[in-house]
Amino acid sequence: MTDLSAGNPVIGNYHHGQALEILAASRPAQIKAVAEQILDDIGDVAVINNRTGLAMLPYQDTVQGTAFHLGEVLVAEAHIQVPGRGVEGYGAVVGHDLEHAMAMAVIDAAIAAGHPAKPILEFLQTEQRHHADCDRERLRKVEATRVQMETF
Amino acid sequence: MAYVATRGGEHAIEQAERLFRSDLGTITRDRVETVRDNFPYLVDRLMGEASLYEPDLAALALAQAGGDLYEAVLLLRAYRTTQPRIAIAEPVTQPDLFTVRRVSAAFKDIPGGQILGPTLDYSHRLLQVHVLMGEDYTPEPVIPAAEPAPATQPSLTDWQKAQGLIADHPVETVSPEKIPDLTREPLLFPAPRAHKLQSLARADTGGTLALGYSTMRGYGDVHPTVNELRLGEAPVRLRHPRGTVFSAGRVRVSQAEIISKSKSLELGFSATFGWNEVKVIAAAALDLASTRPDAHPASTEEFVLYHTEPVESSGFCIHFKLPHYVTFQSALDAIRDAKANGNAATAATGAKKLPTKEQEVAL
Repeated sequence: MTDLSAGNPVIGNYHHGQALEILAASRPAQIKAVAEQILDDIGDVAVINNRTGLAMLPYQDTVQGTAFHLGEVLVAEAHIQVPGRGVEGYGAVVGHDLEHAMAMAVIDAAIAAGHPAKPILEFLQTEQRHHADCDRERLRKVEATRVQMETF
Repeated sequence: MAYVATRGGEHAIEQAERLFRSDLGTITRDRVETVRDNFPYLVDRLMGEASLYEPDLAALALAQAGGDLYEAVLLLRAYRTTQPRIAIAEPVTQPDLFTVRRVSAAFKDIPGGQILGPTLDYSHRLLQVHVLMGEDYTPEPVIPAAEPAPATQPSLTDWQKAQGLIADHPVETVSPEKIPDLTREPLLFPAPRAHKLQSLARADTGGTLALGYSTMRGYGDVHPTVNELRLGEAPVRLRHPRGTVFSAGRVRVSQAEIISKSKSLELGFSATFGWNEVKVIAAAALDLASTRPDAHPASTEEFVLYHTEPVESSGFCIHFKLPHYVTFQSALDAIRDAKANGNAATAATGAKKLPTKEQEVAL
């Protein structure tokens, strides 16, 4: 799995990779609402990029260890500058939701600018919990399909 | 013989397309979402063959093509060319997979256990005809276990290598930018293994199955057993401009290892976008069969990879329905000439003559 704990935490106990991962996996309506609030505070934003594009996904063969390309994934990305704060923000999500990517970039820029942490931190905690709960519920159902092998 | 320019088809062509599209009716966002939500395995199959992962676009392609898979693959492949490549993600390795199904037909007690996951493998195939009488079919709910399954499952091949059962191939570290890429380079033979696996990942499911099945039935010396079959979700890890690697989301993937017990334990591998078990099992069997020095003609690398490419094969097949009047008439003229030349010799035997051009027109 990805080591997301490299470097120092950027907000609360979250390292940059952890925060980005939660933002990318967060519910679209929720992240857009939070980003709207932050936009009012951080001032003008210059958009460097807000587009869809392809990310090629390499995959490793488990038999001979050969790395090969599985195919391309459509990704929405946003890259912004906040001239008044001297920071940049970046967001990328699997899919075509440009607004989600932009909301992620806005929150990433806000974190880099040292925007008051509380609302962002609360959002990260809520979304992390939500995502973990969804995975847990899914995996409880998966666990129910485990074969309890009995040998006679 | 000469090429003859003709006109008169423009109106018919336009109306034919209109007829196709009007038969399908209006395509709305709701309709696309219905396709996406109701046919996830069809959407998966399409994304694998198109080599483009985006369920909404795949559902849209299916809606636009009226469910014609080859048209839908072509639509997605064409769309792909309009998009810039903005990144090569970090390579996915087996420990990264959020695994929901993982079984082995070769070993009963595998590390991590056998997890059936979502499957109809052991179910009765009964059509719920009462739905057509207005009675809804609501499936029984899953009774969740008290504790969740581990999100990832250990590698079976690592265990087999540790037991000395299979060869431990040294893993060559290649930077993602250096991995051979079929979308940028031609497929040449003998193909690098990376090209072969990429080609199988985007291969036509039906074609792969047909060739894989022929190998399994005996047109080849691979007697396959599924060493491991795995369905899961792979993270798409991108790099932030400041260098931080993070997952931008997960995509559904399938992978299969096939083991042959004919001489020694040898393995074949395949993976693809989406959950498509029949494709990866057949493709992994072909991966293994095509490595044999005396491979059957239908399981050689070149035969398999050329004939399972969905856009090229379907395109070549259906182009034969487009006008070939000149080439066909040319062939007919040649036959007629040959017949005319031979008439003197065959008249005595009473051989039947081909109709003349005038008679053909009258027909």
